[in-house]
Amino acid sequence: MVIVSFMLLGVLLVIVQTTLCMPSPMWPLAPDLYYVLVGYLAYRLDLVRSLIILFPLGCTLDVLSGTVLGLHSILCFGGYFLLRFISGKLPVLESLYQIPLVATSFLAVNWCAHVVVSAFDEELLLPWSWPLMLARALLVALFALPLFRLFDAVRRFAQRSILPWNRLHLRVDNRRRRQD
Amino acid sequence: MRKKLTRKKSDRYRLLRFVFFAGLLLTLTLIFLVSTLGSQRFGSLHKLVIETVGPVQKLFAAGGASIGNFKREYLDILQDVIKVREENKRLLKQLQETEAILNRSREAMATNASLRRLLEFKNNLARPSVGATVIGKDPSTWFRSVIIDQGTNRGIVKGNAVVNSDGVVGQIFTASPNYAKVLLAIAPSSAIDVMLQQSRVRGMLKGNGTLTYRLEYILKTVEVAEGEHVVTAGYGGVFPTGVPVGVVSRIVRKPRGMFHEIEVTPSVDYQKLEHLTVIEQQDVSELKQVEQP
Repeated sequence: MVIVSFMLLGVLLVIVQTTLCMPSPMWPLAPDLYYVLVGYLAYRLDLVRSLIILFPLGCTLDVLSGTVLGLHSILCFGGYFLLRFISGKLPVLESLYQIPLVATSFLAVNWCAHVVVSAFDEELLLPWSWPLMLARALLVALFALPLFRLFDAVRRFAQRSILPWNRLHLRVDNRRRRQD
Repeated sequence: MRKKLTRKKSDRYRLLRFVFFAGLLLTLTLIFLVSTLGSQRFGSLHKLVIETVGPVQKLFAAGGASIGNFKREYLDILQDVIKVREENKRLLKQLQETEAILNRSREAMATNASLRRLLEFKNNLARPSVGATVIGKDPSTWFRSVIIDQGTNRGIVKGNAVVNSDGVVGQIFTASPNYAKVLLAIAPSSAIDVMLQQSRVRGMLKGNGTLTYRLEYILKTVEVAEGEHVVTAGYGGVFPTGVPVGVVSRIVRKPRGMFHEIEVTPSVDYQKLEHLTVIEQQDVSELKQVEQP
């Protein structure tokens, strides 16, 4: 249930990003909502479930954005593993670093991907722009807190089973009751 | 005994006094009534009464008037305010509804005009074409593409030219049965065969991600002027010949190199892409037939 919920949520975030957040094809400040989900998965969910959720997310992004298939998937998986690795190594309290780290990793992963792709074909991508990418990283940080809250709520909701199995448990009689 | 006698005397005296005063008062009252009713004169007593009561009455009257004024000025106004507020709400709602209707009709008019121009443009095209609407835009900072709501079911294939009534928009990059991705002409990976309309010199139009194109491979020997129109060359059969692309906006003449550096302002407003036309590609066999005399 958690996997399906987050899969749908990821696709929904991408759709919102490509429609409502993009008033024109040239709009530069569309928040990368999908990356907040990547960060959330890295912090909160286990590896297997996270990878299952990341596959359709990266695929949807590749379909709806860009001309290099697989680039967004690399960004998602790269960001996920980077965040997971760093958060596992850091000794400080998680809440202190989690949002800045999401934004920083977004910047780092994007820069690495841009360098690699540009090395293969210089005219495939638009040139790297630090002010623009810093603004996008800031947007990721700004949207991180409310979206983390939303994801927490979705996770709590999804963890409740549709069928109330716990109510179907057979209640055994009280063993300490006196025999009449 | 003496005490009892004294109390009896006192009681009698009191009774006598009461009878005397009551008689006196009744007499005076009788005299007053008889004299008043008989003569019907507004006497001194009346004047005294009115002079005494007058100020109090005046005070009360003024108070009443003030209360009346207060009621008129504040309570009635309060009621009026409430009524006015309700009226205001009603009018505001009416205004909003009217504005919404007006906006809808404006939007319908604008869409109508846009579609009419697109239809005229489509009718002028010699090749079959498909109308499409932009449903999604690429949010990444590195690419320039849009998603349209028509696909291979309507005959759209990779490489088809995409235009609108203003000119060239881009080319189909990928297509699924019902949707397709359009690589915009301003994308860095886009390259379109174009020519300068006046001099008929061919060049390669490339995007640079901004709202301008880069026109490449125009030899320095060619005279190019700012404001000259750039149109599609039509080679390769992707774009029909003569579709507007843009206007030469800047020419950089460098001492070194063989070619001009030319900046072209697009004829299409990329900020307002909405309705597009996908032109089917010309058959290669048809092209060969055209080229052979």
